[in-house]
Amino acid sequence: MDLSVTDFLALDAVTVQFGALRAVDEVSLRVRKGERRAIIGPNGAGKTTLFNAITGVVRATTGKVLFEGADVTRTAIHERARRGMSRTFQITNLFPNLTVAENMRLALRGLSPRKFSLLGSPALNSEEAGRADRALEVSRLGARRDSRVKEMSYGEQRQLEMAMALAAQPRLLLLDEPAAGLSPSERVIVSDIIRALPRDLTLVLIEHDMDLVLSLVDYVTVLNNGKLLVEAPPAEIRLNKDVQDVYLGKARHHA
Amino acid sequence: MSTDAMPRLALAAVLLGALAFALVPLILPTYQVSILTEVLIYAVLAMSVDVLAGYTGRTPLCLGAVFGVSTYVTVYYSSTFGGSPYVGMALGVLAATVIAALFALLAIRTSGVYFLLLTLALGMIVWGICLRWTSITGGENGIRGNVRPAELAAHLPFYYVVFVAVAVVTFVMWRFVHSPFGLTLRGIRDSESRMRALGYNVSLHMFIAFTVAGLFSGIAGALYAMFNDFVSPSTVALTQSVEGLLMAITGGIGTLFGSFIGALAIIGLENAVSLYTERWQTVLGVAFIVIMIFAPEGILGGIKTLLARKRG
Amino acid sequence: MDRRTFLKTGVALAAVGAVAKPYIARAQASGPIKIGMMAPLTGVVAAGGREMVDGFNMYWDEHGGEMAGRKVEIIVEDDGANPDMALQKARRLVEQAGVSMLFGNLLANTGLAVANYVKGNGMPYFIPIIAADDLTQRNRIKNVVRVAGYTGSQFPRPLADWCLKQGYKKAATISQDYTFGQEQCGGFCQTFTEGGGQIVSQFWHPLNTSDFSPYLGQLANLGVDVIFAMETGADATRFMQQYSNFGLKGQIPLVGAMNMTDQSVIRTMGSEAEGIIVAAHFAEGSPDPVTQKFVAAHVKKFNKLPSLYGFSMYSGAMWVDEAAKTIKGNVEDRDTLLSAVSKTELTGSPLGQTVKLDAFGNPIYDVHIRKVVKNADGKLWNAPIATYPQVSQFWKYNPETYMKQPPYSRDFQGIKKS
Repeated sequence: MDLSVTDFLALDAVTVQFGALRAVDEVSLRVRKGERRAIIGPNGAGKTTLFNAITGVVRATTGKVLFEGADVTRTAIHERARRGMSRTFQITNLFPNLTVAENMRLALRGLSPRKFSLLGSPALNSEEAGRADRALEVSRLGARRDSRVKEMSYGEQRQLEMAMALAAQPRLLLLDEPAAGLSPSERVIVSDIIRALPRDLTLVLIEHDMDLVLSLVDYVTVLNNGKLLVEAPPAEIRLNKDVQDVYLGKARHHA
Repeated sequence: MSTDAMPRLALAAVLLGALAFALVPLILPTYQVSILTEVLIYAVLAMSVDVLAGYTGRTPLCLGAVFGVSTYVTVYYSSTFGGSPYVGMALGVLAATVIAALFALLAIRTSGVYFLLLTLALGMIVWGICLRWTSITGGENGIRGNVRPAELAAHLPFYYVVFVAVAVVTFVMWRFVHSPFGLTLRGIRDSESRMRALGYNVSLHMFIAFTVAGLFSGIAGALYAMFNDFVSPSTVALTQSVEGLLMAITGGIGTLFGSFIGALAIIGLENAVSLYTERWQTVLGVAFIVIMIFAPEGILGGIKTLLARKRG
Repeated sequence: MDRRTFLKTGVALAAVGAVAKPYIARAQASGPIKIGMMAPLTGVVAAGGREMVDGFNMYWDEHGGEMAGRKVEIIVEDDGANPDMALQKARRLVEQAGVSMLFGNLLANTGLAVANYVKGNGMPYFIPIIAADDLTQRNRIKNVVRVAGYTGSQFPRPLADWCLKQGYKKAATISQDYTFGQEQCGGFCQTFTEGGGQIVSQFWHPLNTSDFSPYLGQLANLGVDVIFAMETGADATRFMQQYSNFGLKGQIPLVGAMNMTDQSVIRTMGSEAEGIIVAAHFAEGSPDPVTQKFVAAHVKKFNKLPSLYGFSMYSGAMWVDEAAKTIKGNVEDRDTLLSAVSKTELTGSPLGQTVKLDAFGNPIYDVHIRKVVKNADGKLWNAPIATYPQVSQFWKYNPETYMKQPPYSRDFQGIKKS
């Protein structure tokens, strides 16, 4: 695959090997700026591992990850975050003993030198406070600032995941199954939130719920057994026979 | 309830506590004043343990050794070397900070029981060195000091010097745990992976937290040098680290001020119970178990929970 | 006398302490004499600590609980074998309980901590057990007096001399690796090498060594004429047992520090301890009638032969009591008490000899070379086989020149290069 510097995010034959297991097997893909991309596939297809390779939680065994033209294959997680990558986690990964406001504060300060203020006031400055408020409003958590995370519902925790990812003002947002485990009504809230995200934000999302995915994205990548199976717009995916075999078929069996 | 600003009730309690520590010595006999001095010094050690155990979620078993390094340096500089005790104390704090930074480099990548064991081992190394490096440390006999200046020989003036020093240190530590940086530590405690994803260099934050905790332990150790005018390997022994941890736990992990309650409870109990029985260590152990069963969040933590429940 | 009584008095004192100090000072001079007695009642050396308390109490029980006609009130504190705790307890005894003098402590580090504390306030502190050389040498403190005690290096010197006289030319030492051991070995090595002997090798092992075979294997192959061992407590028991089991007993003569064959160790042992020779100021197997009277009384009271700990505390109490009699019990006057103690020559003690203090507050003894043998009851005890008269802590050296050499340590054992 020919890698162009104009690609916003590019993966070149990325392989992630865990012992004998090839979790991700020579996957190459390109995401344009402002694109909304879904990565789908059955359980164990390597979706989350691919996410981890993009964000740096695991390192690609071979192959390259390019972000805005720069090779970030060996770059540390926090450094990739600093360059504008932000992600949510499949299993909610929040700060349960802290309040919503404190969670937001951590999300905001991740990229600010103020995080090293050893004796300063904990309060946000007005610019930061504005960003936090906007992200909370978008995520519909404006009224829950002082709640402790462990006291909130699962749906609200997923919303907070999103708010935190947004607060960092990322250029690339990676959402790992944002609607997993939610009730139908909570799913509606989440998809509304995603739909309302600014259009210049590049979005990559992993999702099981086909209907949710296909209504939200421009382009779909299907993984199976760690390999890239198909890349196509949502409309074609529904009709693709391979996809139906490995994914939709199986999904139906499961259901 | 936000944890940012101190709620009015908590502020009142802290001021009341400070007032008690300021006034009670005036009516106490001298021996009890010296015990109270010890309480203040150990509270600082317990608070520095709390910075790591309570706020960062890493339980250290080496801060007693870091504390003791400061004591050793202070005593050595002012007695064997014959220098000014104040310079000695500054050097002691510096040495403790450097040692803590070194330990931090080794320990920050571990967590849970590995962190516990690694810091335990590091503390034991300090103890081993203090025991074996006889030409400098005097081996198990230790070094007899000349730290306390004549003007502070009496218990009461010395108490108030320690009181002021501890008050300043406590305020700084309170600001520290409630600073933007302090919040990152609580974030690391709750979810390290999320912190990384948010762009935090977790190792760097751990390193700073560990070093700062070492600095505070070092201040406590330097004050202890002046208090005891003597140092031996028992000052850097594991029991010292454990004692600091027990005080932090008894008072309430993650409460900072709980350390004063913990230090008061443990040192007070040690002194009271040992009057009655040689089995005072057993009594202390039982008391600790009772606290852990009925107030697992420690004394102050338990009070906070009770108050919150009443309100909620 | 017990802790409860003390507590009540202590609390009462504490209550009025702040306002009524002058009154208390007067009251003390005519009331009972309060003595603070510290011993490790918990921790690794607790057994020895208990024997200290027993020996101390035995003396006062025999003497009507009085010192120079005044009642004594003994306040016992546990130092936990920990210097920080010893220091805290010393503070409590002096500042809260208002004692007139301190006695005791077992481990050198606890004694050194307390000594440093009393240096600041002048409280008389008597240390029959603490053997740290420098407390009565380079770092002498005027109000710290080693009544009925000895320094670590004091007795191994006559022992080394005795070894040379037996024709032993080559020796090796094995010792617990801490200052007390280093001082004992230093005394032995310096005298032995200055007298023409040779130290072939020295072994230092950590406290609480359970397996001595690596050391014994090496010791067996050195070709030495004698082995000097410095062991205390359970290490001493294990060392002597394994020395015997390894077949070294009877092959290479074993001499050692007096602690190794103290009653606290050999009381529970069998023939493996027999024949071991050490040097000490006291020998419970001495035929001296005064000694035997004390031994019999101790056996009657505690059903065991007296150990170093009990004997030393008993004799130390006697020493201060004798001194107090010469000043009519005015022990609250510290200078008078200290000068009386330093002038007092101890005559009627179980030592069976007259003992006086040198100018540094350490006693000068007729030192027995003593051997572990079975007594008439079949029990092991130490019987004297030779005596070195008037052995001071400085042996045959001039104190001033002696104290210019460094204190004994692993690195400095006073070994004369031949």
